[in-house]
Amino acid sequence: MNEQNDKLNELVAAHKAEIHEAPAHLKQQWHAAIDQAAALERGRAPIPRERWHPSSFFWGMAVSAAIAVGVALGVFVSDDTIDTPVPYVVENFTQPDATPVAFTRGLQHHFRSSAKQLADLDGSEDAAMLVLRLVEQNRLFETAADQNNAPQLARVLRAFEPILLRLAATDTAPEDAEALKAQLSFELNVMLTKLAKESSDETHST
Amino acid sequence: MKTLAKVVLLISTLLYTTPGLTQSDVADVRDVNDELKLAAVEALITAPADKALPLVSKVLAGNHSTEVKEAALFILSQIDEPEAQTTLLRFATEESGELQLEAIRMIAIGGGSGMSNLKSIYESGDSDAREAVLEAYMIAGDKAAVFEIAEIAEGDDFEEAVEMLAVMGAREELRQLRNTRGTSEALIEACAISGDFECLRELAADDSNIELQIEAIEGMGIVGGDEANAALVEIYKSSSSEDTREAALDGLMISGDDAGLLELYRSSNDSSEKKELLEYLVMTGSDEVWAIIDSALDGDE
Repeated sequence: MNEQNDKLNELVAAHKAEIHEAPAHLKQQWHAAIDQAAALERGRAPIPRERWHPSSFFWGMAVSAAIAVGVALGVFVSDDTIDTPVPYVVENFTQPDATPVAFTRGLQHHFRSSAKQLADLDGSEDAAMLVLRLVEQNRLFETAADQNNAPQLARVLRAFEPILLRLAATDTAPEDAEALKAQLSFELNVMLTKLAKESSDETHST
Repeated sequence: MKTLAKVVLLISTLLYTTPGLTQSDVADVRDVNDELKLAAVEALITAPADKALPLVSKVLAGNHSTEVKEAALFILSQIDEPEAQTTLLRFATEESGELQLEAIRMIAIGGGSGMSNLKSIYESGDSDAREAVLEAYMIAGDKAAVFEIAEIAEGDDFEEAVEMLAVMGAREELRQLRNTRGTSEALIEACAISGDFECLRELAADDSNIELQIEAIEGMGIVGGDEANAALVEIYKSSSSEDTREAALDGLMISGDDAGLLELYRSSNDSSEKKELLEYLVMTGSDEVWAIIDSALDGDE
């Protein structure tokens, strides 16, 4: 476990510079936004939804960055189902252009974990924070995909982010949130199946 | 082959059978049917491309829900064949509403030849399609394409393209835009979002337009970090303008730099200034604030 923590610490430290630090007051603003969302939920006063807006990407990024380190460590380490640290950038000396198997396994775990967490989302105040954690994990894997010769996976991961941010937004109507969850779950499952098939094919061909 | 045969059988069954239902059961069963269809479409990811493509095309051509068709589009995005790209492109250009927007997204996820058609979709599409194209370029990581749009776009389209460049961290492209299009609120915000402190420092020193100058100073707070915080403290100390001094305090508050605010509080001998700084310290939630309040009440500060 200590070794796992060390590796995760290294992982977070290596990529900390790529994350915009969010000031504490933004977290307070976010809590206020969650309160507002909860009030709206209770009052059943849906606000017309917009498509994803780039600014929301930033605010999501800013807020989620504040919990980035905690998330990277906390989520992965506290999850008892994880036996191995999340592979990030994996050196592959024999086939430098190939996507390392260890990274693919880590990504499979990320997809599986994201799908499970989405399924467990219950619309509570913690749900928005949980989605922002998923955004942060997603961003870590997106960077890792780029660095592990997997641009096609990086594109898929980038495509998940606007959906996640709309899911976390306070003005997303409950029925829209359900649709977004369903879409994301489908896409995560497809990617899981695809990665598992590719791993299986590689195993059988060697 | 057994799995594939099952997939084909399941899809065929779902596509061609019509269950006998009472009116009241229709809604519930439709959901169940959709779930089955989605499971069948999902299974197509395991089929070889030559087997999956005709089935996906059949789903897209059939009388199915938007959700099922969107799922089929996602499967297409994962099939590395020209025919898949052609179908996605057809949906992106000929369909409207959610299916068109999803097709645009899937072209970006696939990253294939369809990418070259996004510009014409942007030019001929409505505002939703234009947003979807910008998002597609973000997914594909194509800064140059967004820059090309921003160079000639006007109004909201310009601002959305600039914001997307900021999200993509395209600092160089944003600098070029400032040179060619002039400084604007959208571009200053983009400097902040992309974390370009140097850009903000230059603009914060330019007092030709006080509103833009204030925007730049506050933007430093969004960037945050030691360098930005030190610059904000310096601006506060050296500026003679109340507006820029207040912007610097706002920046420090946004950045959450209670150490900087504390430094200013302790170095001030003006009670009204101390009062204002104390208010900012309270807003940042500084741990030191209680000791300061205690001292202030005791008359020590």
